[in-house]
Amino acid sequence: MPREAEPSANEKAFLLKALQDEQIRLDGREFDQYRPLELTFGDEYGVANVSLGKTKILAKASAEVTVPFADRPLDGIFTIATELSPMAAPHFEVNRPTETEVLLSRLLEKTVRRSGALDTESLCLVAGQKCWSVRVDVHVLSHDGNLTDAACFAVVAALRHFRKPDTSMENGVLTVYTPAEREPVPLGWLHSPFCVTWSFFGDEGETALLDADWMEEQVRVASVTISLNRHGEICQIAKLGGVPVEAVALLQCTSVALTKVKEFSTYLDDKLAEDTKRRDKGGFMAELRAENDRIVG
Amino acid sequence: MSTESPLVVLPGETIDPSLIPTHKKNPLRLGPGLRHIPPSEIVPTVAGQLVVDHRKTSMWIEYNGGRYIPSKGDLIIGQIARSATDFYYVSLSPYTPNATLPHLAFESATKKTRPQLASGELVYARVSLANRHMDPELECVNSSTGEADGLGPLKDGMVFDVSLGFARRLLMAKSREEGKVEVLEALGEEGLAFETAVGRNGKVWVGSESVKTVVVVGRALRETDEKGLGVEAQRKLVKKLVREMR
Repeated sequence: MPREAEPSANEKAFLLKALQDEQIRLDGREFDQYRPLELTFGDEYGVANVSLGKTKILAKASAEVTVPFADRPLDGIFTIATELSPMAAPHFEVNRPTETEVLLSRLLEKTVRRSGALDTESLCLVAGQKCWSVRVDVHVLSHDGNLTDAACFAVVAALRHFRKPDTSMENGVLTVYTPAEREPVPLGWLHSPFCVTWSFFGDEGETALLDADWMEEQVRVASVTISLNRHGEICQIAKLGGVPVEAVALLQCTSVALTKVKEFSTYLDDKLAEDTKRRDKGGFMAELRAENDRIVG
Repeated sequence: MSTESPLVVLPGETIDPSLIPTHKKNPLRLGPGLRHIPPSEIVPTVAGQLVVDHRKTSMWIEYNGGRYIPSKGDLIIGQIARSATDFYYVSLSPYTPNATLPHLAFESATKKTRPQLASGELVYARVSLANRHMDPELECVNSSTGEADGLGPLKDGMVFDVSLGFARRLLMAKSREEGKVEVLEALGEEGLAFETAVGRNGKVWVGSESVKTVVVVGRALRETDEKGLGVEAQRKLVKKLVREMR
């Protein structure tokens, strides 16, 4: 397995000097400014393409009918699969989870699954026999730092965009309609959690930055990921080792995180509305019209 | 240099024989990107712009490749990976085999006075040996004269990644006219004091007293490279960045 490329001593020293002495980041951002966030949806329902600067993530949601778990007959199944391949960076290997990969999937699990963002009871079709199994595959296309925030955003966007086939239950017979027969329906969504990752620098973790790129990630001494939704409900806070940080600083980070999450939320809502409008075929009246297109001479 | 629109070729295309420079005495020299298939075929192996120089009866292809392939005589910026008994292992680009740099290939280095370079430090070196079958070798001294000529360890400063084609244009002797790269001169004219070292492997080292200067130079280089800015746009970018800095 090739070892991860390490930045040179000059680069590390310069980055720290710029941050601590001059208070500037290499790309000229503010300390609490995210890189430009872009979201595009695919033609199929449930495909979300997120790019945060040069970090690019693709999330795809899909669903199939399957047997529920024996100990949870009334719940559907919901899994998030993340796999870092050499496409993201050459030192990742398929089927050999690195620390980055394990942490990423744990954080996504806690943020989206455990917080109950997706209502799994609504995925149940026949108690104990049939249920929907929703699966989100997260592909990291390019790794330039801050995979967590971008991946969480992509997962939430993909799930909210996804439509599962409509079903009906009559006399004990379950019918699953194809998209041609009946319009697919959205998933039962309760709240939208987003991750915000802070990185700390300095001997006592005094300097805090949002959205570190790859170079800044190599040099940071601690990081904390806060997951919350726009109502201020915190799903989880993860600070896994690193230099200890002042409690007051952590509280400040959380409140700034709330502002950022509200921005993410509005952005996602806008993008979803735009996508719905684009797909909207005008409804019944548009289908019934018999006008020809006017040819302007 | 001809002023016609540049001819872009794809790998495997046939080249119009009228474009090939001929001379009574001088043999035709082929530069990177072209391959001679005897008896008389010349075939490009990369995609890029075909450049012909009638004065030197040579032709080559300007291309912007992704991976750096070391060739003899190139100046590069390498990162010391570790030190072995007689030489340093130097990494030219990530995830490729390391090059070797002998301990004694520095100016006025003897067995007793070797330079002490730690892992992670940057060196500006010249490639002394490079072929397909062996790991490349470097030197930090001009082997014929024994002088350093500016090679050696790079202290402080910051190194930025640029594309290979951009690094080549920066290293051209007439970078303003032929390479269309004016960014560094424009920054100097604005009054910023800095020094640079350009490595053909896609790295540019920038050193200066002031951290802000280095950051501005780095951003200017990166944006010129990523967006492919022309000369006028480069000047505007420089003015904008310097204004933001002040």
